[in-house]
Amino acid sequence: MTGEALLSVRDLVVRFDTPQGEVHAVNGVSLDVGAGETVGLVGESGSGKSVTSLAVMGLLPAPAGRVASGQILFDGTDLIGSPERDLRRLRGKDISMVFQDPMSSLNPVITIGEQVTEILRAHEQVGKADARARAADLLRQVGIPNAEDQLVRFPHQFSGGMRQRVMIAMALALHPRLLIADEPTTALDVTIQAQVLELLVGLTRDLGTALLLISHDLGIMARVARRIAVMYAGFVMETASTVELFANPRHPYTVGLLNSVPAIDDRGKALRPIEGAPPDLEEPPVGCPFAPRCAWRVSSCWTEMPPLRPIGEGTADGSGLEHEAACHNPVTAEEVRGAAPLRPGFVPAPPPAAAATASPEGPA
Amino acid sequence: MSDAGERGGDGGITPTTDGALLEVQDLRVHFPITRGVVFRKTIGTVRAVDGVTLDIRRGETVGLVGESGSGKTTIGRAIVRLYAPTSGRVVFEGTDLASLKGAGAKQVTARLQMVFQDPYSSLDPRMSVGKCIDEPLKVHRLGKKTERRARVEELLGTVGLPARMATRYPHELSGGQRQRVGLARALALRPSLVVADEAVSALDVSIQAQIINLLQRLQREFDLTYLFIAHDLAVVRHISDRIAVLYMGQVVESAPTDVLHDDPLHPYTIALLSAIPRPDPEIEARRTHIVLTGDPPSPAAPPPGCRFHTRCWLRQKLGNPERCEAEPPPLASVARGHAVACHFTDEVRASPERAAVRVGGSSASA
Repeated sequence: MTGEALLSVRDLVVRFDTPQGEVHAVNGVSLDVGAGETVGLVGESGSGKSVTSLAVMGLLPAPAGRVASGQILFDGTDLIGSPERDLRRLRGKDISMVFQDPMSSLNPVITIGEQVTEILRAHEQVGKADARARAADLLRQVGIPNAEDQLVRFPHQFSGGMRQRVMIAMALALHPRLLIADEPTTALDVTIQAQVLELLVGLTRDLGTALLLISHDLGIMARVARRIAVMYAGFVMETASTVELFANPRHPYTVGLLNSVPAIDDRGKALRPIEGAPPDLEEPPVGCPFAPRCAWRVSSCWTEMPPLRPIGEGTADGSGLEHEAACHNPVTAEEVRGAAPLRPGFVPAPPPAAAATASPEGPA
Repeated sequence: MSDAGERGGDGGITPTTDGALLEVQDLRVHFPITRGVVFRKTIGTVRAVDGVTLDIRRGETVGLVGESGSGKTTIGRAIVRLYAPTSGRVVFEGTDLASLKGAGAKQVTARLQMVFQDPYSSLDPRMSVGKCIDEPLKVHRLGKKTERRARVEELLGTVGLPARMATRYPHELSGGQRQRVGLARALALRPSLVVADEAVSALDVSIQAQIINLLQRLQREFDLTYLFIAHDLAVVRHISDRIAVLYMGQVVESAPTDVLHDDPLHPYTIALLSAIPRPDPEIEARRTHIVLTGDPPSPAAPPPGCRFHTRCWLRQKLGNPERCEAEPPPLASVARGHAVACHFTDEVRASPERAAVRVGGSSASA
């Protein structure tokens, strides 16, 4: 899909300058979202998924956060280095965003009606009365009852689910071509989450809006995304169609994630967590950042981060979407179930310093 | 695990006379809504917990699942005496907790510990990890300084932290490490019951799995009994022997874990099961979702009759029968250890929605 992607992030590197030093938040991420496509970005805290999306929006907190290198192509135009005036026109109109916490993204002292009409009036020539009528329409579209009456109310008078609906109405008000939703349902109760997800997916499909959905929740990904990129420590570790990724995960981190989720269908199956903790992003990455926690690591993992490259024979769902992983020693199909390397005599490579002192243990 | 109370009409998680470590009987916790600063007036009541009965037997894990405002946290806090019940009883190891005062209370509550969701706000930021774990030992005068230090180190080891962590401060730890410290502190007094309130909810999945496994190991090692409170039914199901589902301060269904999953009978339970996204795109693709309409009503003004009737998908299908609005359904036993509070369990049984949830869910388990 390269070339014709609506959004194409190329080798994005984002750094944060902090008093403690430079934080390596995003370390060379490439990612495509086609027109009308739903792509999931999954990862844990600190994986760089939110920072990637903020970089796309040009909303990195200045001056600490900066794009150190890479390209963000939207419809062929590189957004990095574009004048702020152009970006402002783009945001809201062509690309918009929904955040996790609608309470902190809505202005608490301005009515819902004013906030929705503000978007319309900022980007289009519309009269006050027209804007108001359209705002009411938008609220109706996202399933808010008595829309006219709600326009004069303030955010705190809405429930969490309703606030998120308002955010979605605002984000889709101008029929953007790309919607970035960063953990849009994480703060909501499950039954409300189901409502909001259904709404988000239904509306973006009807409008032909591409959706970049960011979440830590693999269940939501399985429900919504067509394609998934798995992030860890600022790198994309694996990407594939959703069906392929769940059926045939190849990166040890993806396998670890899948084995960490309690599956409601097979209770009693022990969880196999990933040992250890994510790396400190203040240290510049050397080798694969997952190596210290990885049971499949080989000696080159300690020194060299492998590029994201095509893997496997084909995709399970015949979608033709490429399956790529950044791994020196990918997991085999038999090993996925056991969540451990099965090759006889395989021992995870010790860190380089230890390797120098320790005696070799069996054939690797 | 499944010889739960089979007594009278209240079934399910009911107080049985023997074997129960904790009995909660018709617990109500109401909070006044006040207005005014100088002249405080009570203008209403939030019925956070409104008539909950459950018992927990030694060595088992009971899961309490519900959404925000369901009262699950309030129940946990009333059990560890952070809230005083408005009415009802909490009986722990045969003693009514309300009757306890002074030293007796200290002794009993030592065996009743709580682990919170956010270990950062439940640990004192100015206290080192060692001091934090030492504090309960000190308060209860358990040993001399050197003995206590050894015990702190032992506890750190138990929860999988190196002894050198004792000198660190909470802000230096990761979320998973902090939760381990919270556990070590809870274990310091050798409790028999641990109330875990959303203990793994704030953690990343890979860390969450570590803590769940740790909780299970500790349970085996120290003969712990858990009341595991969470909103995530998948996690609750993984860890619990029995589950009670709460809605607006009341138990709507309770059953052994497998029964609740394979044979859910309350429309709300079915909606919850349906709402949970499964980490399996193939199941997700063929599964139908029941999407509840509307938000939960305010707990200050619970709807009359069945509290779920305003959002109930089954009631809508049945043409909104009057009975749901008029008459609160009692929590009635339908099978051994399985109790449901619904007027229309036969209709639930026959509904295709229930069948769809079960097919979507139990394709793997025979």
